[in-house]
Amino acid sequence: MKNILLGLLAILTVLSSCDSKKKPSADEISGVLDSVKIEEPSISEDVISDIIQQIPSPLEISTLLKESETKYDKEYLNDPEKISDYNSNYKKALALGVYGTDLGYTNIYEQNQDALFYLNSIKSLADDLSIGQFFDIGTIKRLATNSKNLDSLLLITTKNFNNINNYLQEQKRSNLSILLLSGGWLEALYIVSRVSEKNPDNEELKETIAEQKVIMDNVVLLMSFYKDNDPNIKQLSDRFTKLQEEFNKIEIKTVYREPTYEVVDGMLVVKDNSTSEIIMKDENIESIRNQVYEIRKNIIN
Amino acid sequence: MKKLIFALGIIFVTASVQQSFAQCNTEKHVEACIPKLQSGFTFLKSYNIDGQGGAKDKVEYSYVFTKGATYQVMICNEGSGTDGIVLTLYDSNRNKVASTKYEGSTLSSIAFPCQVTGIYYITFTFEGSSNYCGGSVLGFKR
Repeated sequence: MKNILLGLLAILTVLSSCDSKKKPSADEISGVLDSVKIEEPSISEDVISDIIQQIPSPLEISTLLKESETKYDKEYLNDPEKISDYNSNYKKALALGVYGTDLGYTNIYEQNQDALFYLNSIKSLADDLSIGQFFDIGTIKRLATNSKNLDSLLLITTKNFNNINNYLQEQKRSNLSILLLSGGWLEALYIVSRVSEKNPDNEELKETIAEQKVIMDNVVLLMSFYKDNDPNIKQLSDRFTKLQEEFNKIEIKTVYREPTYEVVDGMLVVKDNSTSEIIMKDENIESIRNQVYEIRKNIIN
Repeated sequence: MKKLIFALGIIFVTASVQQSFAQCNTEKHVEACIPKLQSGFTFLKSYNIDGQGGAKDKVEYSYVFTKGATYQVMICNEGSGTDGIVLTLYDSNRNKVASTKYEGSTLSSIAFPCQVTGIYYITFTFEGSSNYCGGSVLGFKR
């Protein structure tokens, strides 16, 4: 009987340790999280995950820029060769977000050769953070060398960043996810700010900057859960809070009206009859731009 | 000894119950869903719809939709129908924007040309579902 029991215990042990996907454990990850290793936040990881989910993809801004016929400009992007400057995991996580946005921008503009440089930097940073397993660099490079594969490349890289975020949250490491998203969001805001500065009469670009107020509130909220326990996040949070004060000078008025519908090819197409009005001054946008430039300089240098 | 065997029995039963919840392979449904996004839409996010065999009556996500963009949200699951999974979209004030349960039929997809930037709630409920399991994807275009 003892043998049977021992056998059962052994099977249970093996079963509980089995995982079809070979991924680093939370302990392995926490081992590399020097500067971002922090205490548990005061709020549940589920709540944090819900807020993280809300933050839109930087791809949306890149698409807007392309659709508004703004030319591709490499000058807006962070230098992919700078990865050696990112010597702490805090900096690496932020830079990974920045490069992720830059990669999306090159993808949208079909600049696959430039995309390759960003992919290499991303892979390197991801490896350092023990999340490199999400990038099958061979497949991605193969896609990147053929411009016809743009859709697949965009899809794979978007999926990878989504998977990384989900994985970090599952591993109870949302703090890294927040840095990644904050870096990515700020980079998108930086690019649109630069383009808007060059095209001061383009109201749509100014509105896009102003509308980031909604996301700004989420980003600051997310950081607030960690800032008391992590001096790096505290410092970043302070800068973002200052930027939030500028956004607070902008008012977004919305009027709700019942939508109307029609069914087209089995899909429900909504006609959104609600409207919104953004009340802002050019000086608000200018102050936001300047602060964004300053924060971004601090992140990438 | 009997107690020990009983305890092990409990562990096995618990493990098998967890196993039955784990049978909802949302990833498979998400993968099948992405290519079904209408032409011109770029994939943004995927959502797991796991009702845990009926233990959960609602699965909810939220996302900041941006004015000027059109979003498509699509449900995929086993077979061609939606297996009773209903998608309802609410705005930041919880006003109902749209539901796939429309005029007596349950559709699998919504297209939403957004006019107001803000947080929107994407809610999945189960009405007579047999599997309580599916996947959903969000795409956008300008």
